[in-house]
Amino acid sequence: MATDGTPTEPEDLAARLTLALTCAAADPALSGVLLFDLDPRLIDPVARLFAGILGGGTPVMLGATSRDEDLWTRTRLHRERDGISFRTEPGPLVGEEGRGAPPPLVVVPDLTRLSVAGMRAAVQLVGADVAVVEHTGLSRTARPRGRWLAACPSAEAGRLSLHLLDRFAVRLSVAGLRPPLPDPEPAGRGAPSVPVTDEALDRVRTLLGGGTGVRRELALARLARAVAAVRGEPTATAAHCDAAARLMGLTVPEAPPPTAPADPSPAVPPPAPPKRIRPEPPRGRAGEAVPEREAAPSAQPLLDTGPAEPIGSAPGGTPAVLATPFPEDEAVVLRDFAPLRSPWQRTAGPASARGTVVGTRRAGNLRDLAYVRTVREAAVHQRLRRADRFTISPVDLHSHARAGAPERMLVLVLDHTCRDEDWDWQDALTPFLQWAYTERAAVQTIEVGSALAADELRADSFPARSVLDPRVLASLYRQAGRATPLAHGIEEAVRVLRRAFRQHGNGLTEAWVVVVTDGRGNVPLSVSHGGRTTDAVGAAGVTDALEAARRIAAMDRTRVHTAVVDPARAAYAHLPGQLADALGGLVIEGRGEPG
Amino acid sequence: MTRAANGVHILPYARVVGQAELKLALQLNHIVPRIGGVLIAGPRGTAKSTLVRAFALMAHGELPVTLPINATDDRVLGGWDLDALIRGEARPQPGLLEEADGKGLLYVDEVNLLDDHLVNIILDVVSTGVLSVQREGLATAKHLSFGLVGTMNPEEGGLRPQLLDRFGLMVTAGQLDTDARRHMLRTVLDFEQELTKQESDWLAAAEKDDADVRERLTDARRRAPYLHVPDDVLRLCAAAAEQVDAVGQRGEIVAMLAARALAALEGADEVGPGHLRRVLPMALRHRRPETAHGAVFDWGPDDEAQVGELFGTV
Repeated sequence: MATDGTPTEPEDLAARLTLALTCAAADPALSGVLLFDLDPRLIDPVARLFAGILGGGTPVMLGATSRDEDLWTRTRLHRERDGISFRTEPGPLVGEEGRGAPPPLVVVPDLTRLSVAGMRAAVQLVGADVAVVEHTGLSRTARPRGRWLAACPSAEAGRLSLHLLDRFAVRLSVAGLRPPLPDPEPAGRGAPSVPVTDEALDRVRTLLGGGTGVRRELALARLARAVAAVRGEPTATAAHCDAAARLMGLTVPEAPPPTAPADPSPAVPPPAPPKRIRPEPPRGRAGEAVPEREAAPSAQPLLDTGPAEPIGSAPGGTPAVLATPFPEDEAVVLRDFAPLRSPWQRTAGPASARGTVVGTRRAGNLRDLAYVRTVREAAVHQRLRRADRFTISPVDLHSHARAGAPERMLVLVLDHTCRDEDWDWQDALTPFLQWAYTERAAVQTIEVGSALAADELRADSFPARSVLDPRVLASLYRQAGRATPLAHGIEEAVRVLRRAFRQHGNGLTEAWVVVVTDGRGNVPLSVSHGGRTTDAVGAAGVTDALEAARRIAAMDRTRVHTAVVDPARAAYAHLPGQLADALGGLVIEGRGEPG
Repeated sequence: MTRAANGVHILPYARVVGQAELKLALQLNHIVPRIGGVLIAGPRGTAKSTLVRAFALMAHGELPVTLPINATDDRVLGGWDLDALIRGEARPQPGLLEEADGKGLLYVDEVNLLDDHLVNIILDVVSTGVLSVQREGLATAKHLSFGLVGTMNPEEGGLRPQLLDRFGLMVTAGQLDTDARRHMLRTVLDFEQELTKQESDWLAAAEKDDADVRERLTDARRRAPYLHVPDDVLRLCAAAAEQVDAVGQRGEIVAMLAARALAALEGADEVGPGHLRRVLPMALRHRRPETAHGAVFDWGPDDEAQVGELFGTV
């Protein structure tokens, strides 16, 4: 609050943020706090504020390079008089289990750039009843005590995994938040012992509307309970639900509930009205309808900012305030098809230590040591060494052997039914095959319409370590069959890419999808899935293929490149172009003249 | 029962609202463990994980043996106790698969996010029934047997058909209707409230209800092996599997085991067509060709009509 008692937006925002963090600190079920559009410079002050409310401790920062090996276990080295000793302990996400210790705080400065390991950890820990750790000799089952503070640009929220976002119970748009932040006051711990009235539950439903997820309803009810507890109220009522909704930035209908007691809402200043108007109606993840939300009131903002002054090429001004704490529901962009993927980042080369651990080997250096194996190796020699304590020698050291993670990948979709006697498509494919060879790319060949297909209604697919695998060459010259399950072939490409990005994370830096086809798919996806033909097919085979192709277009454009090799058939000559558009890629002329 | 170790509190099984099909599948699997496990698919926030844990607490008094998605192979297969090694003692540390053998169940939360190398290990053990470890100075081979219970949100990807087939039953968690949602909210908040009290009648009543369910299950488990399965029911089962083009024969076998478990649970003298019909969707929905290739797991009116014709003729 300003000294003259007039609320001003930045201070109000800071007050709302502080209250939200206090509620999250008080109730372990509200352990995930997601801040939209937080100025990156404020990550540290906000983290310190939250840590202070939690009672101290050093926040753990997670980012693009966080790995399982660093998160779940921790090896502490100690210098001692006669050498170095080490202990393997629970990692930063599950450590600090002492009864009196404050809950650990995990900070994710940008959720969209969190590593796969970090996202998977969040899915396992945030708001969970139980966390189970089974990692390098450590076995532990406990209730997670940690709190998570994550920031995310609201415009990017739609690309994240809904499964992940759903874990964050407390959401707040903090666009325009400015320092200084208030001094932290440690909050109480444990679920607040405040009963929630029946009318409050009805109010939760009214505020969130029908069709919303159960976790959101529970989160709002718990937040209302926490707000009531923080205010010292004996019960959580509908008015506290309104306060909790305002806290998160949900639109609250004007009329107060008839049976509500004194409205505590003045203590929770409402957010500014939304400035962002979305041009398209809200769309759900898979095209399903998103429940309508009441339009936000167009009241006067609490504070008009002065004229914006741009710095460099970036637009100036305060970021727009969100109309809803659930921007992912209204995202007009398609979600990434590998939402638990790593952010794009070039890696250092094939020696990358990011692949899955598949074994151990004698260490050549001190990177990526496998401690369990090292200790086991040392144990064998203890009696021989006659040392008075457990000793590890350099010869004992073993490091992890990690699964080879290809850095590049070529996905070839070959439609055998578009190739005729006088056309050798190898010429058109040569540049891609050469690229795959020189870059040592993994190859996935997907064959559509082969006479030798196990099931003519489905595409066949096989992975190869490199383009030198003899099966790749053989696949280029297969006899054409009768059906063209192009949609299934492209769907298979989607699946392969999705799996590759999930498994290899940011180790996979580039992938090319090359589709050789005339676009005339004649097997709908449902037929490929079911393996049963239907009477009328129509254009479903083509439209399904385009639909599947759009999923590839929605993937990370900095890493996935697409091309359609056009065999230039006279009939339906526009189809390859349409497919390339749907893929968001190039059309490459397969031959000079139409066949 | 509800207060597990390390401050873990799970809503009592008898107080979990809705999800009758999920509960039934878990109960049938408990009555006849040879069913081989349950896969639960469903959208976010449908109490899938809660239900599995609550069931384990109710039935066994402890949390299930859980395989987290980022487990390392030494914890899955077994290895050496590291602290003991440092003290100079060679003390083997059993892996999760061995623990699951002792308790009959291995639970995998977010099973569709499990890394491939772990899926391969599980498939090897489940299909051969033998855990053979020849690594890091260990040389063991043990016969293991356990059921798999998995939960997954299909939005995040599917399962390999081989793994899918290893789950005896599959059920899909549905969204609750308005009244059930409200009831669920009330129950969860009351539960959290009761946990803050030293003595709670609410929790005591829930534990008593859990005990009643456990008693019914124990009784059914004792009766199930002796229930007669008429030939007519067997023929119906085979016809139904053929009607939906079920892949392989595991579906029919599991369907009959589940029908027998259901009959035992309901106190019937023998397995009837009605028992079979109720469990068919659970046993066959993930063994249809379209599901094996990654399509949805819905058991829709068409499927219902297909098997309905068969049962209508009995």
